[in-house]
Amino acid sequence: MRSALLVFCSLCAYTQGIEVPTVGAIVDSSENLRPVQGVAGNFWLGAARASGVLSASCSERLCLAKTDSKILSATGQADAPSGPAIFWVDRDDAIAFFPETRTFARWHDDRLDPLDWTVDGEVLSMDSAGIAVRREGHVWIVRPDGEVVDWVTDTVGPVLLLADEVLFATPDELILRRHDGSELRFPLIGATAITAMSAHYAAIRAGDSSYAFRTEAGREQIFLLPGNPP
Amino acid sequence: MIRAIVLAFLLPLAARAQLALFAMNGNIEVPIGASLDLGKVAAGDASSVRIRLRNTGPSKADITRFSADGTGFTLDRPSLPFPIAPGSAQDVLLSFSASMPALYSANLQVSTSVNSVSAIVLATVVVGPVLTVFPACTGSDGPPPSIDFGRVQAGQARLCNFYLRNASTQEMTIATFRVTGSGFQISAGPKAPFKIAAGETAVFVITFTANAAGLYTGALAIETRTYVLTGAAFDTPLPKPLLEFDAGPIQSAQQRRLTIRLPTAASVSVSGTVNLAFLPDTTAVADDPAIVFLATGTRSLPFSVSQGSTNILINTQTSAVFQTGTSSGRIRFTVSGVSTDGDPTTMLTVPASPVSLDTATATRRTGNLDIALVGFDNTYSTGSMTFTFFDTSGGTLPTGAIRADFTPEFRAFFTKAQAGSTFQVRISFPVTGDTSGIGSVDVQLSNASGVKLQHLVF
Repeated sequence: MRSALLVFCSLCAYTQGIEVPTVGAIVDSSENLRPVQGVAGNFWLGAARASGVLSASCSERLCLAKTDSKILSATGQADAPSGPAIFWVDRDDAIAFFPETRTFARWHDDRLDPLDWTVDGEVLSMDSAGIAVRREGHVWIVRPDGEVVDWVTDTVGPVLLLADEVLFATPDELILRRHDGSELRFPLIGATAITAMSAHYAAIRAGDSSYAFRTEAGREQIFLLPGNPP
Repeated sequence: MIRAIVLAFLLPLAARAQLALFAMNGNIEVPIGASLDLGKVAAGDASSVRIRLRNTGPSKADITRFSADGTGFTLDRPSLPFPIAPGSAQDVLLSFSASMPALYSANLQVSTSVNSVSAIVLATVVVGPVLTVFPACTGSDGPPPSIDFGRVQAGQARLCNFYLRNASTQEMTIATFRVTGSGFQISAGPKAPFKIAAGETAVFVITFTANAAGLYTGALAIETRTYVLTGAAFDTPLPKPLLEFDAGPIQSAQQRRLTIRLPTAASVSVSGTVNLAFLPDTTAVADDPAIVFLATGTRSLPFSVSQGSTNILINTQTSAVFQTGTSSGRIRFTVSGVSTDGDPTTMLTVPASPVSLDTATATRRTGNLDIALVGFDNTYSTGSMTFTFFDTSGGTLPTGAIRADFTPEFRAFFTKAQAGSTFQVRISFPVTGDTSGIGSVDVQLSNASGVKLQHLVF
């Protein structure tokens, strides 16, 4: 009965344009921020959008890049403490941590507002669950006030907190651990950094190579990304 | 009257023009004193020296005479008269050749309108030893005289035998007898100085050995004569490399692994390049730029193999990962920069397939139903689509199957993007009424290879 009230304009199906798919963005080995285009298993890097980029992180709607002195977005920029930054990008907002000054700030509308958070240890990643920090070889999840929430792992490698999982690296493996404790393991030697490439991909740096890890449940897979020509 | 005064001023300046003669040794000026000795010249050979005439005075010198008067001597110089500015110089080539053994001389003279310089040039023609080279080397009288050792496999030696005969009626002393140049050496024969009796012969052997492929030159100096030695080394043909791929059928949007090995061990260490090229089935695009070796994002990688090994390292790794792209066609792998015992070219066929969807979602907006598709069509022929909507109970809506044809849009996009066949498209359906009862949709995408059916839940 309800469907009787529905009127389709069946001859009016239209497209809003066909585009080249973009998977996310990474910082390449020449410190350029470059879009990763294509589909799983068929990637290429687009033209550099910014140079001198030390770190970057993207969601579906916002991509932030940290140069030595600024944070750049597609719509603006703001002065920031020197050195790289660790981001948690969520929709249109982000939290940034600056390791050199050990300070946190909130990014909103191309502005950077300081936060009075104080966390001990090596800050590795952030998300809504908290802040991943390494203390004495163990990775913990702590709240902005320093309260310990959970233990993650004892890895010495990089860690990325995801919405429902944690992705971390050991010297020879990449491990996706779900909240129920189950794990997926992928052989990968020497990962040194894991960042959010987009809502569904993480970017991993290992030696001279960059990888894309698909984080969607049931479609987890690691891909090699094209390197820079010699 | 005025002209006479000007000349009176000019004459003292011209008188101060000074000329100096030099024999050039490379770029070094060696002053020529009263005489210049060209030394011994083998009968029938030519000897040349570059002479530099420098104006060391403060005014221009107009050279009215520049000659070498003597049998066998010639001078290659500009036409007379010619000027030389103050501090400048003019080089000329003085050559000598004669066939009869004797001491020869010439008067080398340079004159301007106000002064002149001169020197005696001497040359001694002697009967030189006669050199005979035996195959596999070949000789040429030149000029310059040369001996070619031919093409030699890198790491292997080529020995060439020589006879040096004293054709004169007197004992001959060979004071200069040496070989220079990388890869060349006298491996057997007398050491200088040595004597060759009249009519007798000395035997010697020169060996050419090169460890790497390339062109090599050297020199054999025997008394007054220098022979250019040439040889070429080439890499040993590799046993035909075997290009192999990780298991599983080849399809689009794959990252595959290439390994290269030899059926038998390499006899020498060699390096080369492995290349890939793509030949698409379609004429809609000329290429698929995503088909690359991922290590460098390029279509060529260096490889190397060590002597005694069957394992080839590609870009210093045991294998190389490449992408198969999103176009049906053939990927051709070749090797270059090394000779192989057979053509190792290997083709991979990427078959045509129905449209592949990487992600697909269905969402409701006010007044619209949106279907977002991300995928690829390796035949470049998609566009014909059918949408069948269902209510939340799974029943087909009365609209039935809705057909839409976006083939022109896809074709235009593929042609313009030149980025393989990947696409991201949102298809919207304007609706009026309550859309909350619409539960799912079947999307059928057709291409030249078949139909892709995707069920999406709103």
